[in-house]
Amino acid sequence: MHERKVSRSCCIIAILVMIFLVLPLAVIIIASFTPTALVTFPPKGFSLKWYANIFSGSNQFMNGLWSSLKVGILATAFDILIGVLGAVSICRHNFKGKNALLNYFTSPMYVPSVAFAFVLLQVFSQIGGVPGMLRVFIGHFVIILPYIVRNTVAVMHVFDWTLEDAAMSLGANPVQVFFKITIPLAKPGILAGSVLAFLYSFDEVALSSLLTTPKFVTLPIRIMNYMELTFDPTLAAISTLLILASLILIALLDKFAGLDMFVK
Amino acid sequence: MATLEIKNLTKRFGDFTAVDNLNLSIAQSEMIAILGGSGCGKTTTLRMIAGFTDPNEGSILVDGKDMKNIPPYKRNIGIFFQNYALFPHMTVFENVAFGLKLQKLPKAEIAHRVDEMLSLVKLENLNKRYPRELSGGQQQRVALARALVTRPQILLLDEPLSNLDAKLRVEMQVEIKRIQKALNITTIIVTHDHEEAISLADRVVVMNAGKILQLGSPREIYDKPNSTFVADFMGFSTFIKGTMGKKTGDKRQVLCGKTPIMIPASEAENIAEGQSCTLAIRSENIGLVSDTEGENIVSGKVKAVVYKGQHTRIELEGCFDEIIYPAITGCIEPEIGQTISVCLPADKLCVYSEDKI
Amino acid sequence: MSRKKQAILMALPAGLALLVFFIAPMLYIFIKTLAQHGLKDFTAFFKDPFYLEILWTTLRVSIISTIVSLLLGYPTAYYMARTSSKLKKVMIVIILFPFLVSAVVRSYGWMVILGGKGLLNQLLLAIGIIEKPIKFLNTEFAVVLGMVHLLIPYMILSLIGVLQSIDPNVEYAAYSLGASPMQTFRKVVLPLSTPGIISGCVLVFTMSMTSYVTPKLLGGSKFRVMATMVVQELNVNFDWGAASAISYILMAVILLIQGLIVLATSRYMKRMGGGKNA
Repeated sequence: MHERKVSRSCCIIAILVMIFLVLPLAVIIIASFTPTALVTFPPKGFSLKWYANIFSGSNQFMNGLWSSLKVGILATAFDILIGVLGAVSICRHNFKGKNALLNYFTSPMYVPSVAFAFVLLQVFSQIGGVPGMLRVFIGHFVIILPYIVRNTVAVMHVFDWTLEDAAMSLGANPVQVFFKITIPLAKPGILAGSVLAFLYSFDEVALSSLLTTPKFVTLPIRIMNYMELTFDPTLAAISTLLILASLILIALLDKFAGLDMFVK
Repeated sequence: MATLEIKNLTKRFGDFTAVDNLNLSIAQSEMIAILGGSGCGKTTTLRMIAGFTDPNEGSILVDGKDMKNIPPYKRNIGIFFQNYALFPHMTVFENVAFGLKLQKLPKAEIAHRVDEMLSLVKLENLNKRYPRELSGGQQQRVALARALVTRPQILLLDEPLSNLDAKLRVEMQVEIKRIQKALNITTIIVTHDHEEAISLADRVVVMNAGKILQLGSPREIYDKPNSTFVADFMGFSTFIKGTMGKKTGDKRQVLCGKTPIMIPASEAENIAEGQSCTLAIRSENIGLVSDTEGENIVSGKVKAVVYKGQHTRIELEGCFDEIIYPAITGCIEPEIGQTISVCLPADKLCVYSEDKI
Repeated sequence: MSRKKQAILMALPAGLALLVFFIAPMLYIFIKTLAQHGLKDFTAFFKDPFYLEILWTTLRVSIISTIVSLLLGYPTAYYMARTSSKLKKVMIVIILFPFLVSAVVRSYGWMVILGGKGLLNQLLLAIGIIEKPIKFLNTEFAVVLGMVHLLIPYMILSLIGVLQSIDPNVEYAAYSLGASPMQTFRKVVLPLSTPGIISGCVLVFTMSMTSYVTPKLLGGSKFRVMATMVVQELNVNFDWGAASAISYILMAVILLIQGLIVLATSRYMKRMGGGKNA
C-alpha cells in the first residue's frame, strides 16, 4: 500500500539521522583506545595510555573538571532556588502579564551568550578584582535560568492546583503544602530542567572563554586550549568519559523523571 | 449504492487474532450493526473495509469487486470516526467541501452540494465556524455531512453516538436513520451499545473475540439470543443453572436446584435429558404474583430494592442457588427481608446447553 | 498573606537577580557604547564589506543549517510520532544523548572524521576514489554538518510533540475522502504541524546564529561568523567598540528575524486556535 511506502521512506530517513547523530560519538569512543597518535580505522591495537594522560598534571584537565563542577553545581543550585519559586509564582494563579513574566524569566535564551559575556566582561573590568569563579558563576546562572523555569512551568502547567486546596483543607499550612505537595508533583520538571541547566553550564564555552581568568579555567576551555596545541587521542579519552557521564545522566533522568516529558 | 461481501476475513496482530475467519454479506441499501465489547474485532473489521489495515487472509468485495490492493483513497467508502476526526484547521464548509475539491468539481457545484448536505444535517448557518467552536452534536453532524457529501458507495459509522449525552443520542439515532433511508446508502455501524444497534439496524451482528456469535434481525437478537454470552450482552440479567428433564406435551421440565421450571419444548430440542443447562430471562419479564403455588412460580427473600424510575429492580435470593433480578412496575414496593413470589413465564425463558456458553 | 502578595514575593528573587545581573548590564553597556562612541561603530560595521560578508556568512550558514535540519528532522519526527513505543524510546535516547554531550566533544568527533588525515579521507583513499586527501575540515560544509548535528535534536523535539498531537484518524479521514498520501500531507498534516515547524525553525536558526564552538572548531581560523568575530575583536584586535557593535547587531538581527516570523505567521496561528500547539 502506498502509505506504507511513505512510512518506509520516513523510517529510512529516521534511521540515517540516528546513525548520523551517533557516528561522531562512536568514532570518539573507538579513537580513545587507539595506540597511535593518528586515529586510524580499523585501530592498530588497543591502548589505555590516553586515559592515563588525562590524569597527568601538566594538562590540568582535573583542575578544569573541578572548576566546571563547582560552577555548574553552584549555578544550578542557585537557579533551582530562585527558578522554582519563579515558576510557581507564574503558574499558581491566572493573572495579566503571566506570559510577560515567563518571557522575562526566559529572556536570557534570546541573547547570544557571546554578547552577554562581552557585556559582563566590560562591567567586571570596570569594577575590577572580581574573582574568576564569581565571574563565570554570574554569567552561567543567568543563561541557565530559562531551562529550569521552562521545564518546571511545563510540568506545573498541567497541574491540578485544587490539590493544594485539598491539602490545605486537611490541615496543612502553606509551607507544608509547598514542600509536601507542590514540589514533589513538580519534581520531574525540576529534575529535567536542572540536568539540562547543569549540562549547559558544564559544557558552556562562549561565555566561559571570555570570563575565565588564568587562575580559574573550566574544563571545556581546557579541552579547547589543549586542542589548539596537541591534537592527539587524549581528547578522545576525555570526551569518552564525558559521553559516559551523559549516558549515566540520561539513565538517571529516565528513571526519576521519564524521558517522555521531552517529547511533549 | 453497493453490496458488500466479506469472505474468510482474518487479521492477526502478533499472536493476537483480532478478526477470525469472518464471513458476512450485506445487501444493497441495508444498514447492518456490528455489536460487541471492546477488543472484539469490530473496529478492526471496519478499518479493513475502509482499507486502513490490510487483512492477513480473506477478501472484501464491493459490488463483487475485490478491494485488495485498492488504496483507501480510491475506495469511495465514507467513514465516520468515533472522535469525528474533523480537520481542525478548516471551517465547517471547508471540512465538508474537502472531498469534493479533491474531485476537482466546479466551485459552484461544490458550494451547492455542501449547502445541500449541510441542510440535510440541519447545520445551514454554521459554514464559517471552526470545529472547536461547535458543540459535540454539531461536530458530529459535520462529520456525517463530510462522509456523505462525496456520495460514497458504502458508509461506515464507528461508534457514532458514544460521545453524546442521552438526549442528543436519541435525536441523532432518528437523524442517522432518516438520512440513511433518504440517501439509500449501504451502511455498517459499529457499536458496543445494544439499544443503539437494535434501534438503528436492519440486521445485527454480535461479535466476540474476532468471531460472529449471532447474526439476525434486531428482534431475534433481542428476544432470542443464541448463547449466554449474547444474552448477557443484550441485557439479560438473570441466569439460572439447571438440569434438563422430561418432556410433557409441548413443555419440558428443567430442574433448577430443587425447583422445577417449565420451558417450551421447542426451545430445547438439542439438549438431552440429564444434561446441565442454563436458563436466562430479562428482568422486566419476571412478574410479581400473589399466588405462592403454580407453574414457574418461586418465592424468595428480598435482598435489595433499587428504584429506577420506570421500574423497581429487586434482588431476590432463596428461589434458586443464584440470585434473580426481577424488575417490577407499579406502586407496590416490597421491603428488604420480605418474602415475595414471582413468576418466570415459560415463553420468555431462553435455554442454553452448557457447551453453548 | 494574600495570594497576590505571595506570588509577587515568589517572583522577586529571580526577577531581581535577572534585573541586576542581566538587564542592567546589557542596557548599561549599550548606553555607554552609544555615549562614548555614538553610532560610529555601528555605521562602521555597515560600511565595511568585511563585516557585511561575515554577517552574510552567519545568515547563510544558519539558514542552510535550519533548512537541512527541517528536511531531515521532519520525516524523522513523523516516524517517531507514529511508531510503536519501544522503537520510539530507543530513538528518544539516541536524540537526547548527543543533545547532552558538549558541543566541543561533538565537534571533536567531526574533526577526527573530516580532518586531512581523518577517517573519511583514509576511507576514500583506501577505496581509491581519490588520490589526494580532500579538504573537508575548515570549510563551510564542515560547519553546516556540525551545526546540523548539534541542532537537529532541537528540531525533532519541537516537531514530535505537534505531530503526536495530530489525530491519526484525521489522516485516515482525508484518505477516505479521496486524498492521496501526498495530498493528505499537503492539506492536512503539514498545515496542522506548522506551529511545530515555526518554533523548531526559530529555535534552530537562533541557536546557529549565536553558535560559537562549532564554527570555531570546524570552520578554522579563517572562517568567521558574528559570534567568533566578537571574541576575535576582543582578544586579537583589542577593538572593544567593534566587539560591542557586532554583539548588539547580532542581537538585533536575531530579534528582527524572529519578529518577522512571528508577524508573518500570527494570522495563521490565530486560525489554528491561538497557537496553542506552539
